[in-house]
Amino acid sequence: MSSSPLNPPLSLRSASSAEHLAHIRSQPSASFLQTPAWALVKPEWRNESVVWERDGQIVGSALVLYRQLPRLKRYLAYLPEGPVIDWETDDLAGWLAPLAAHLEKQGAFGVRIGPPVVTRRWSAAQVKDGIADDAVRRLDDVPPLERGQAGACVVSQLHELGWRPQAVEGGFAAGQPQYNFQLPLDGRTEDDVLKGMNQQWRRNIKKAAKEGVVVTRGTDGSDLKAFHDLYVHTAERDGFTPRQLGYFTTMYDALSAEDPDRIVVHLAHHEADLVAATISIRVGTHSWYSYGASSTEKRDVRGSNAIQWAMISDALAAGCAVYDMRGITDTLDSDDPHVGLIQFKVGTGGEAVEYAGEWDLPLNKALYKAFDLYMKRRSS
Amino acid sequence: MSLSLTVDGDRWRSHLRRVAQSTPGLVPVAKGNGYGFGIGRLARKTQWLGLDTLAVGTYVELPEVATRFDGDLLVLTPWRPFGPALEVDPAIVRRVIHTVSRPEDLGALRAHDPHARYVLELATSMLRHGMSGRQLRTLDLDAQRAGPGLEGIALHLPLEQGSHIGEVRRLLNDIVGSGVDTRTVWVSHLTPDELATLRTSYADFTIRPRTGTALWLGDRGALRVTATVLDVHPLERGDAFGYRSRTAPKSGHLLIVSGGTAHGIGLEAPTGESSLKARAATLARGGLDAVGFVRSPYSIDGKQRLFAETPHMQASMLFVPAGAHVPKVGDEIDVRVRYTATSFDSVTID
Repeated sequence: MSSSPLNPPLSLRSASSAEHLAHIRSQPSASFLQTPAWALVKPEWRNESVVWERDGQIVGSALVLYRQLPRLKRYLAYLPEGPVIDWETDDLAGWLAPLAAHLEKQGAFGVRIGPPVVTRRWSAAQVKDGIADDAVRRLDDVPPLERGQAGACVVSQLHELGWRPQAVEGGFAAGQPQYNFQLPLDGRTEDDVLKGMNQQWRRNIKKAAKEGVVVTRGTDGSDLKAFHDLYVHTAERDGFTPRQLGYFTTMYDALSAEDPDRIVVHLAHHEADLVAATISIRVGTHSWYSYGASSTEKRDVRGSNAIQWAMISDALAAGCAVYDMRGITDTLDSDDPHVGLIQFKVGTGGEAVEYAGEWDLPLNKALYKAFDLYMKRRSS
Repeated sequence: MSLSLTVDGDRWRSHLRRVAQSTPGLVPVAKGNGYGFGIGRLARKTQWLGLDTLAVGTYVELPEVATRFDGDLLVLTPWRPFGPALEVDPAIVRRVIHTVSRPEDLGALRAHDPHARYVLELATSMLRHGMSGRQLRTLDLDAQRAGPGLEGIALHLPLEQGSHIGEVRRLLNDIVGSGVDTRTVWVSHLTPDELATLRTSYADFTIRPRTGTALWLGDRGALRVTATVLDVHPLERGDAFGYRSRTAPKSGHLLIVSGGTAHGIGLEAPTGESSLKARAATLARGGLDAVGFVRSPYSIDGKQRLFAETPHMQASMLFVPAGAHVPKVGDEIDVRVRYTATSFDSVTID
């Protein structure tokens, strides 16, 4: 761990998108929510790129989204899954104090961050056993495979520095999931990954190949449109509210402009029929499965397994360390409707990971309190 | 002729066994007056229960328990580089587990005894002894790992005020974040529900609940405290009596009973209650002779009687108003005491 007295102090300033992107590119990975391109996906919020400097070198960066309070020129400064800094540090104050000072000058009444540090991990087998065990209702009821020391150290320091943990339920509409399901790829081959999957997954992947399911990468706007049509169909079937095509077009254009490999549309066809479609995003060695859709017909050709396997293979080929299937709830209750999604993800043989969650620092106590009350009322 | 604690032995022992069986990792605490039983007796009971560790309050209490219990001895008062902590009998020093509550004491302890066994105490919201999470994190871990002495982390929680779980989770997070090479946590004052919650979420930790009151005094029905009536004098209104020659406000009887300030009678240990009423009661007992008679802890036929004056060193004077039943010399009457602040003349276990 680095400690402050040995290092010259950090300073923070507003930066261009190019400087910001250059720092992201220098990192092994960062959340896609911290790329400058993500600002273009959220045009309803004012945004700013900031960088940390030490001795004239850029050593950290963040995308700040400013969410305005109704009728006031004051903002909650939101750094989703960020900032991108040295989270192994024992001197978090040295990093966060200049950030808070800068944001306050920009009119922020509070800051919300999402440290991308893991606090606990559970294996697929533990999750599976937990679901089977009636006494186990939540991930917290199962001792983790591993507790992350760096993550715990971040949590300790945030408490010390007066940051407040935010409950995952309710709260900020854009709140990022604290629990995720990830498939570690580091140092593994396709064979290793396949062997780690449960029998059903392996059988389904094989079956899709035998049935002649073909997975391709989208190449133009019409492919995004095809994804979206199937996604709207999925939304109707599964009962969630779909986003507009325009949201995906904006996202696709912004992320592609930053890096041609950043965002990929995958399409799984059986004969002439589109049976599954997904969007994946990659930053450095981290690949996310972001959106998925599947047809109601022809489920027996196992298009969903085929398309997942194609995305995993792509991630392996790109040298990724992690294939990230994004959020899960922490329920292991077999009666909970969310458990099906976890069971699908668990079949990949990956692991459930808990992140440190989102943390707030009030800068203006009165405004922050009013905002907190407002959000609580909204979510209840 | 004495202030006596009589214990229903079968009932008490089965309570002790029940607690021990339902509390994995239990560490009994024997300190101070030994909760009225005496710490020697509690040490023998810990041996009888087959437990591996006993906690004492201070270093000077070690000799009294060490001969009656042969397991490990945890000292709750933090080690300091001075005083009786440096004079532990070499015959038992390997059985002693020290509590280290300041970073500088760790080095000093290891310099004093390179083979010392110890727990590191983390400060809780009680803020009595203990290090902060940051201090634990920045301890010289290499020096610490060099020896096998680290036996865990100690937490001394305040008495229940709502749930401790949030605070304990935070403290356990500090332990994980520090990288210390232990997953054993010695805790006090957790309810059985809180312990069960922790054992579920932190099944990868070893939790050692330190328990005094809930163990030794957990079944009050097994315990009876009595005093002996030593003398009975009839009183008319206006009669003078006592060290201070007070006069009786009405007629009745003056009872001289065993038990006085030497036993802790009339010396209120703080009840822990902070209500206005409780504080007023404490004040009233302290200011006994300023006003009229004050309620005593002695009761006759289930009715609490008044002190006729402040308790003497080994006896107390009670006032029994005319018309009430008057016990005879030699009779036993019940006394309600704070066990942790009372020394009994005799403890009898049936």
